[in-house]
Amino acid sequence: MQKTEGGAVSRLPVDRLQSSLSIRGLTKTYPGTRALDHIDLNFAAGRIHAVVGGNGSGKSTLIKILAGVLRADTGALTIGTDEFDLSGFDAASSRNAGVRVVHQDLGVFPILSVAENIALGSGYPTTALGLVGWRSLRKRAATVLDSFQIDVDPGTPMQSLRLAVQTRIAIARALQSQDNASSKVLVLDEPTAALPTHEANELLGTLRGFADMGLTIIYVSHRLDEILDHTDDASVIRDGSLVGTETTPSWTEEKLISAMIGKAPIARKPRAQTQMNRGNLLEIRGLETGPLKHLDLTVAKGEIVGIAGLTGSGRSSLLRTIFGVTKPAGGQISFDGQKIHANSPERAANRGIAMVPENRAVEAAFADLPIRDNLLITRLPEFAPPGRILRAGLIEKEASALVARFAIKAVSTASTLSTLSGGNQQKVIMARWLSREPKLLLLDEPTQGVDINSRNEIHEQIREAVNGGAAAIVVSSDFDELALLADRVLVIRGGHVRAELAEQDLTVERITQLATFDEQSGTRK
Amino acid sequence: MTATRTHKAPSTQTGRLRANGWALRVLERYALVLLIIIMIIIFSTDPASSRVFLSAPNINSILANQSVTGILSLAMLVTLVAGFFDLSAAAVTGVASVIVASFTGAHVGNPVLAVAIAICVGAAIGALTGFLIAKVRLDSFIITLGLYILLGGVLVWYTQGQTLPTGSSFSDISSIKIFGIPSPFILLIIVGILVWLFLQHTPFGRYLEAIGSNSNAARLVGINVDRIVWLSFILSGALAALAGCLLASRNGGGDATTGSSYLFPAFAALFLGATAIRPGRFNVWGTIIGVFFLAIAVSGLTLIGASTWVQPVFNGASLVLAVILSTFAARARSRRVVRPADTKS
Repeated sequence: MQKTEGGAVSRLPVDRLQSSLSIRGLTKTYPGTRALDHIDLNFAAGRIHAVVGGNGSGKSTLIKILAGVLRADTGALTIGTDEFDLSGFDAASSRNAGVRVVHQDLGVFPILSVAENIALGSGYPTTALGLVGWRSLRKRAATVLDSFQIDVDPGTPMQSLRLAVQTRIAIARALQSQDNASSKVLVLDEPTAALPTHEANELLGTLRGFADMGLTIIYVSHRLDEILDHTDDASVIRDGSLVGTETTPSWTEEKLISAMIGKAPIARKPRAQTQMNRGNLLEIRGLETGPLKHLDLTVAKGEIVGIAGLTGSGRSSLLRTIFGVTKPAGGQISFDGQKIHANSPERAANRGIAMVPENRAVEAAFADLPIRDNLLITRLPEFAPPGRILRAGLIEKEASALVARFAIKAVSTASTLSTLSGGNQQKVIMARWLSREPKLLLLDEPTQGVDINSRNEIHEQIREAVNGGAAAIVVSSDFDELALLADRVLVIRGGHVRAELAEQDLTVERITQLATFDEQSGTRK
Repeated sequence: MTATRTHKAPSTQTGRLRANGWALRVLERYALVLLIIIMIIIFSTDPASSRVFLSAPNINSILANQSVTGILSLAMLVTLVAGFFDLSAAAVTGVASVIVASFTGAHVGNPVLAVAIAICVGAAIGALTGFLIAKVRLDSFIITLGLYILLGGVLVWYTQGQTLPTGSSFSDISSIKIFGIPSPFILLIIVGILVWLFLQHTPFGRYLEAIGSNSNAARLVGINVDRIVWLSFILSGALAALAGCLLASRNGGGDATTGSSYLFPAFAALFLGATAIRPGRFNVWGTIIGVFFLAIAVSGLTLIGASTWVQPVFNGASLVLAVILSTFAARARSRRVVRPADTKS
């Protein structure tokens, strides 16, 4: 265990010349969309500067450009006295310029020790024989931990530490002294997303210490309370444009929310009451699963229920438990009047439940199989009479009909799924389930990474299915989408349903406020 | 949407590109067949090998001998399509050959019963392996390697290192010719057609391929992944045992080591096969072509008097080259597909 001495912080490899960072005229376009449009931003040294924005606002693109992962179309970057052209700014330039980025996925290695995790950021020390110098590795790690005031033994396996400590080690690894460059700017992408409030506060305290030493800190977060309590400046980005930058005390929760969502009127399509409430389809009592504690939920036939919550709130656990992927720790689920005892995806699908998971590539797509297999994989027995082989003609006919009905833009149903654009792949996944005419649709981020036209088409398909008597539960971190699509929205935070919004209460403002602001988390400065 | 625009562009340049793409695809698919033809031409014109190479006995022995490797490869293909290595299949072939020999030889039993017992034992070993892999979720490579070694040892103990002879009536079956074609080859083609129908044209086979493509997604579309993987191991065990019955009949006996020695030739054929017919995927006809590619090379090289080291060098080099070429072809293919940029921010 390392003792923390008073003078330890002076050993931090921070450039003592206070270097501010400024971005001029940053533009980045993707085919069809402008992700960032002439962004000008100044980040002062010694301050924590929050960058806030909804999903798809462009803030992640901004971070990736600063990290050198993505190339900008145009734009200039100044750090201290150094100037860079952002259209040619790669990962090595970013490092040499003194930018250190810690992503939300920390990139730590759980089974390795803390010392090795730190060494993987700077290289292993070796002995004269070219073997790993374990003793100097340990000593060096101890020095780093000491100077960052992290009180853990270098030999501890990473996985046995709390997430907040792991995050601090990831930051220490990013900032530790390198031979060729000093650290000037620390960029953090949602470092507290998966942390409980007290651990988040602990981490933010550490960041304050770095800022006091002259580091420029760029802080991306969804949690508005955190931003209001712990940052010095805040900038809001919406649809690729900068809405405004002000010192944090001049922001309020209301101002931040309205800057994030803009004033654009939402064309909500209220559905006729007669189409709703045709009896209960799903009843959940006292469900405990993942982060959820004692959740009650009733869904009626003909209803679209939205679930709002941040990453890690348990929104996906809810869907995965209903679909039998995750076993609940407690509680009861009834579907169509029957209590569910044994559950599995196979049983759930046979009951008439469909789930479109959040991560298409990992959990839904058969990327290297033909589109027709992707569409009809769950319905194959229909096309094979008992004891006979599959009827290729019928499969082709049905697949073509689905491609037409769901407006999937494909050259042929025999092409592999990977040849389609993201939006069209998502339409294939939707068509896979909707063609089975499910009673309950569980949709986890159904339009994430999907272009606006496909999004509207997918929404229309959901409405059509529900008007036909099905029900849908939609999880989305795009609160516009929930306000647009859902008949009512449950906001989950801290394992509980914090609010249920319907009719005139169901606005993007209210959802954003309830999902991102924790009233209990503390006092304003 | 950008993708569709690219596909529609009716310029002459895309026309030429498409024609090139088509020619490349055909070449990629049939490259191995083409190489077989080239080898046949060389070996039948080379004075050292031409007389024997094209003789009926040589052709018949290639066709008949390779049927064991072929059926064993198809047994391994069934689980490999779903992404599972089954090293124990070759040991099951050995077990079956010894079972058949001991039931038709000393005890002078009914050959049909002997084959039935061998296939049931193969299926049972497959059921055990499949249980450990699909239900207990152990690593297929390690489990089947362990079984391969274990079964080999059991066979040495049981046979005491001797070859157990089959009855002569049983060994005669594999010497029968139908329309001049050796019966083992006919058996291989029948098994090939059945496995092909099963993998390509039944829901079960499609599920296997979906599991091989993305087992998470397969589970989440409601496919009972565990059961299907388990069943595929049972089927694989039964087919490997069938290969063992053929092996015993061809050799007129069963011993502890011959079956196991088919492991690497069978794997080589599978991987070579994945570069042909349906490039990038393990498939039935590619595998059978792979088997005969290697066999024809071995036969020809022996006939022209190549030293013993030439064969393994040739086999190894062709496998490595085939994989290199098909990997480059696959990369070229994916470059041809215009992927729209991820518009997520």
